[in-house]
Amino acid sequence: MAIGKWALLAAPLLALAAIPAQAQAQEGVIRIGVTLRMVVENGLKYGQMVKDEFDAVNAAGGINGRKIEVQLLDDECKPDKGVSNVNRFIHQTQVDLIIGSTCSSVSMPMVDIVTKEAIPMIIPQSTNQDLTKKGSPWVFRVPVSERFYAAVHAKWLAENVGKKVAYLVTTDTAGIGFAKQYQVYMKKAYNVDPVIEVQAQETDLDFRAALLKIKSMNPDVLAIGGQADAIARVSQQSFEVGIPSRVRRVAASAASNAPVPELGGDAVKGLIYAAAFNCNDERPEAQAFVKMTQTRYNVRCPDHDFSQAYDTVQIVKQALKAASLKLNAGSHAADRLAIRDALAGIKDFRGLASGPINFCAEPTPQCRDGNRTGILVEYTKGGKDYETRVLARVSFEADFGL
Amino acid sequence: MAVVTAPTDADWRSRIHPVLPWLGGIAVLSLLPLVTRTAYDQYLLNIIAINVLLAVGLNIVKGFAGQVTVGHVAVMAIGAYASAVFSVHLGLPFWLALPAAMAVCAAVGLLVGIPALRLEGAYLALATLGLAESVRIVISGTDWLGAAMGFEGIPPPQIGGFVMETHLRYFFVVMPIAVMGIYISFAILRSDMGRAFKAIREDQLAAAASGVHVAKFKLIAFVLSALYAGCAGSLKAHMAPGYLNPNDYSLQEMVTLLLMVIFGGIGHIWGAVIGAIAVTIINDLTQDYYTYRMAIFGGVIVLTVMYMPRGIGGMVEDWLVRRRFAALRAATKARQATP
Repeated sequence: MAIGKWALLAAPLLALAAIPAQAQAQEGVIRIGVTLRMVVENGLKYGQMVKDEFDAVNAAGGINGRKIEVQLLDDECKPDKGVSNVNRFIHQTQVDLIIGSTCSSVSMPMVDIVTKEAIPMIIPQSTNQDLTKKGSPWVFRVPVSERFYAAVHAKWLAENVGKKVAYLVTTDTAGIGFAKQYQVYMKKAYNVDPVIEVQAQETDLDFRAALLKIKSMNPDVLAIGGQADAIARVSQQSFEVGIPSRVRRVAASAASNAPVPELGGDAVKGLIYAAAFNCNDERPEAQAFVKMTQTRYNVRCPDHDFSQAYDTVQIVKQALKAASLKLNAGSHAADRLAIRDALAGIKDFRGLASGPINFCAEPTPQCRDGNRTGILVEYTKGGKDYETRVLARVSFEADFGL
Repeated sequence: MAVVTAPTDADWRSRIHPVLPWLGGIAVLSLLPLVTRTAYDQYLLNIIAINVLLAVGLNIVKGFAGQVTVGHVAVMAIGAYASAVFSVHLGLPFWLALPAAMAVCAAVGLLVGIPALRLEGAYLALATLGLAESVRIVISGTDWLGAAMGFEGIPPPQIGGFVMETHLRYFFVVMPIAVMGIYISFAILRSDMGRAFKAIREDQLAAAASGVHVAKFKLIAFVLSALYAGCAGSLKAHMAPGYLNPNDYSLQEMVTLLLMVIFGGIGHIWGAVIGAIAVTIINDLTQDYYTYRMAIFGGVIVLTVMYMPRGIGGMVEDWLVRRRFAALRAATKARQATP
């Protein structure tokens, strides 16, 4: 037994010794650090796709003859982990570019770090508007900022459904941001206050008490802020407590994630959300992407986080091609600057997103919120074989909502 | 005629002030950044120092006094946010925000300790679990604490114009405080208070019968532990990039902290230190293997509980006891063999 105990003590030490030290910065290679929320199945697939895309570039000979080395880490949607990952990318792996993250609360401290350390960072999925409002010259955002998203559904609902909005929001960044922007827009455009606003916890499973209260207020619209599972549950339970289907359900952009219709079933029929991509998009490039995700990742209908991760990789490839990189021991600062400037030079990029993506040099939201077009999507069928349709497509001026 | 004898080991040791070896320790540890390869290693050292403080603090209430708590991370969160509020909203410098945050946590520790007077074991764990979740939930819904979006712009410590914003500079803030925390923990353990804690841990009734004021010492244990958590929280808050988010104070973090103490050995100060270092390093080294990371962590907990329930500290203690017995046996044998 004594030997067993010592072996147990030695095991982690041996494990530490067995793990090779981090590869030293290799000259001539473009290093990219990717941090995403990968604790969920979808997240793992986004991450894998990003890695696969860069592997394909390497297999085809690299970019301008330079290979790409990707370090992919999971931040679990926890800011501490995101900070740790970014520190690792910058100081240990010495990356030339950072891609991340999924959650706005993780991207928020990352922006401060990359600004201080002068590393370009491109955000593939976070939508909180404060990220680009910080004015960092090193940060670019591919997804539609929430300042645009809110207006997409707010205007459509006010004109087609009604202005009495009840809010049920879980205390996560995406949910709170969604509700806040919706409320600000309604106040500004129509001088309307919420009928009722109820906050719930991210981990809550039963929203019936709050929904009964909302039912008694007889709203026109039920706005659901939160992550995918909360949106699915609230949708289901709203029917269980008797909120009629004439009350239009609208949810944060997380509603585009497959678990919402899969968990929510028929209850999500009629639920609308603003997004940056719809898998029924008939453009050939969109259908090719859908087919690719079906074949490689077993995803029937990729959500907009999938498409945004893909677009991010394509933008990075384009920027790296345009950047003049030396990639030697003394050229880190110059290479990072060159990549940043190449990203700032991305104009009218037409990928899978709802609209063209444009960046420019000024460190302002006008320049760094790349996509300014949102689409309004409605679930027409729930369950595993869910279906959607696009209700509207709205483009905004660069300074809208600022 | 006076007999002159050579000084013994004990005489030599007794002439050294007990604080001196610890100052020597700080001096030696100050050289650590010289052997680090990158600034990331220095960042990791800072995280280790903060985790050491947390684990040593948890060891006081759990290891010394035998009280079950799963609210330690919540107290850390209170310390972190209190320090952030004192700094950002009230304009206090770090050096005042730190003790102020610790004082807030001491008050919280007192409140948390009150249920411990009537509850034990799983019931006490449930009560502290309630605290842990409620703190996170309250922060998530409080706008002036940054709510779910987080608290930003917490300034780093500075002395005059010297700002400790880099990982290297911050190391010289957290490391001495962590060493001081370990020293104080040893001082507590060796004091009457430490003996009272241990008596309560072993048998509350017997301790009370021996004149130990059980209620008072239980509360003191919670307060002391909370002071450590508050200190760790404040240090975390002021570390670059000066950002706090309630998501970083969940039950997952509490489980990781418990693993540090269990792996190191409950009730052993050096065990808690080793546990904090080992778990932080394992955590970091397994980042690349994100698919299996939680399985590795779970496996370590299961194996530790199965094969070394008293942790590394318990193993070392067993080994020392066996060695002492072997030496005694050898000495006895040698005496018996002498005609």
